[in-house]
Amino acid sequence: MATATRFRTLKDMPKEDYLSPGNTLCAGCGGILALRIFHKVLGPKVAWVNAAGCMTVSMSYPLSPLKSNWLYTAFASAPAGAQGVRDALDVLMAKGKLPASEDLKVVVVSGDGAAYDIGLQSTSGAIDRRLDFYYLCYDNEAYGNTGFQMSTSTPYGSSTKTTPATAAYPLGNTARKKDLFEVWRAMKAPYVATLANSHGLDFLRKVERGSEIKGPRLYIAFAACPTGWGFDTRNSVEIEKLAVQTGVWPLKESVNGAVRHTFVPRALIPVSDYLKTQERFNHLFEPSEKTEAIDAIQESVNVYWKEAGAREGFEVKLPGSSSR
Amino acid sequence: MTVRVRFHGRGGQGAKTASRILGNAAFNDGYFTQDFPIYGAERRGAPVTAFTRFSREEITERGFIFSPDISAVMDDSLIADTLANPFSGLRRGGVAVVNTTKAKGSVVPGRDDVKSVCLDLTGQALKTLGKPVLSAGIAAAVARISGINKEALLTAVVDELKDIGLSAEMVQKNVGFAAAIYGELSPLELKTEELDAREELVPLAVVVSEGGIEAVTQAGNSAIRHTGNWRTFRPNIDYEKCTDCMMCYAYCPESAMAVGPDGRVKIDYDNCKGCMICMVECPLKAISQTLEGGA
Ligand code: SF4
Ligand code: SF4
Ligand code: SF4
Repeated sequence: MATATRFRTLKDMPKEDYLSPGNTLCAGCGGILALRIFHKVLGPKVAWVNAAGCMTVSMSYPLSPLKSNWLYTAFASAPAGAQGVRDALDVLMAKGKLPASEDLKVVVVSGDGAAYDIGLQSTSGAIDRRLDFYYLCYDNEAYGNTGFQMSTSTPYGSSTKTTPATAAYPLGNTARKKDLFEVWRAMKAPYVATLANSHGLDFLRKVERGSEIKGPRLYIAFAACPTGWGFDTRNSVEIEKLAVQTGVWPLKESVNGAVRHTFVPRALIPVSDYLKTQERFNHLFEPSEKTEAIDAIQESVNVYWKEAGAREGFEVKLPGSSSR
Repeated sequence: MTVRVRFHGRGGQGAKTASRILGNAAFNDGYFTQDFPIYGAERRGAPVTAFTRFSREEITERGFIFSPDISAVMDDSLIADTLANPFSGLRRGGVAVVNTTKAKGSVVPGRDDVKSVCLDLTGQALKTLGKPVLSAGIAAAVARISGINKEALLTAVVDELKDIGLSAEMVQKNVGFAAAIYGELSPLELKTEELDAREELVPLAVVVSEGGIEAVTQAGNSAIRHTGNWRTFRPNIDYEKCTDCMMCYAYCPESAMAVGPDGRVKIDYDNCKGCMICMVECPLKAISQTLEGGA
């Protein structure tokens, strides 16, 4: 069982910030918020290894918000970079050239583009080698940095730059979102978790819990993206909250393969309440409601929670058809 | 002669589109032309730069425009923004086109050799388009000043805006916007001369001047960027209502809030971007918003 947590309420969030104000990212960015909270739990001694994405842009010479270390790698190879940093630290410590007190936590940070697509191969290698590292993926469900092109994390029904809703493709993207949580679990990673900024206490505790485990650890942080998703910056955290309450974004963790949902909604809110808040789903409601597609999204959420409930012994009240 | 135009806007205002409309307009009018933005760090709200060159002869210059004939500024808060520095390198005898309601007369501090053209583009845009997207208006202003033909301009507005997916109705509204601005102005003589010293677009010098040379290598030096001027709205905490619950602090993506020794949250207005997440998340409704600056 996990040891006692130092986080009882959100007020216990550490008050040190390892990111300075003045970054260049969009106002209201859920990605940098996740990075900020994550860093607070890990403390100051961190070496971030980054694959190309929005966060890269905020850490560029001559101004950077980061007070810890940053290594920028090519899109495909952040986990390989993390292996290099981890090995260097270990070798230096073994030779007595670096006191253990100056050891660093090695954390890959990337968007879903690198985590789900381009960097998956080097991720697989790092997991196979049981590399002792964290992977923080801020998942904004597309290639946000280059203008919001579809990734394999893009959900069904989302329009993106490369999957716009058109007469020929009225739904936008019709592929299903890849289940990266299960990919990592299948590769026997000892710790895998999903996060949402809106559920801050759950977030803090999961990073704390993962810190007690050695080996490859994945965190997929739902990262509301006002620019790509099309909503007012002020609603960034509210939209994440809705994603959790509608069951679209389940909060869960897997410790050595055993999955547990860390937040079980008593009754799910209809998915349309979530979809309606963002321009990327506009075409599902205008000019007329695409009931079939919305029902299909609702159905996949319902099936997910039914199956999860059957496995873990809980019951979630499911909404009916979306057309209300 | 080559006319070099540098557009300065904030992400979302349409600087890049403006440079394209102008380039396309000049092309329609029989000029050789180039247009391109600086790619890289731009984000919604952040300063964005885009360029257009056009000439009756073939253009052999390439790369960023360090010494423009015309500097077109889409947001007057950029004038004082040391990282945008919109008038850097503006040629002697050049023109500063500025979207503003505040400034009248000369807008370029200490430069009586340049002409200033002040326009309320935001007001016009809100009236004709219903939103503050300025690309067609600012492109029209520059096109008129530099003597580009009206038909060439309006065709370019249609082509470029259709290209980025605007509805037919919105395209037509933008044509109206461009025509209105075009009608307000007349051509200006562009006899310019390059300044002797070139200034850098790269903000290194700014970093050094604000924080000293050591600021370049200091960890977390971004606070001197002062993203506070990105704000449209300003959050205000009512300390009478606030119970120090820390919700706002937890969810500020910018680390633009700090908890003081007295346990109270404080907003760093130098860098708060005005996302207003804090206001929405405050359970006690202790945070309100006010519109920034007289715009
Ligand atoms: S595009 Fe989205 S993820 Fe990228 S900086 Fe902007 S809000 Fe953040
Ligand atoms: S408006 Fe946004 S950036 Fe400013 S203090 Fe509130 S949460 Fe932070
Ligand atoms: S969320 Fe509201 S009540 Fe809580 S600390 Fe912030 S201003 Fe005060």
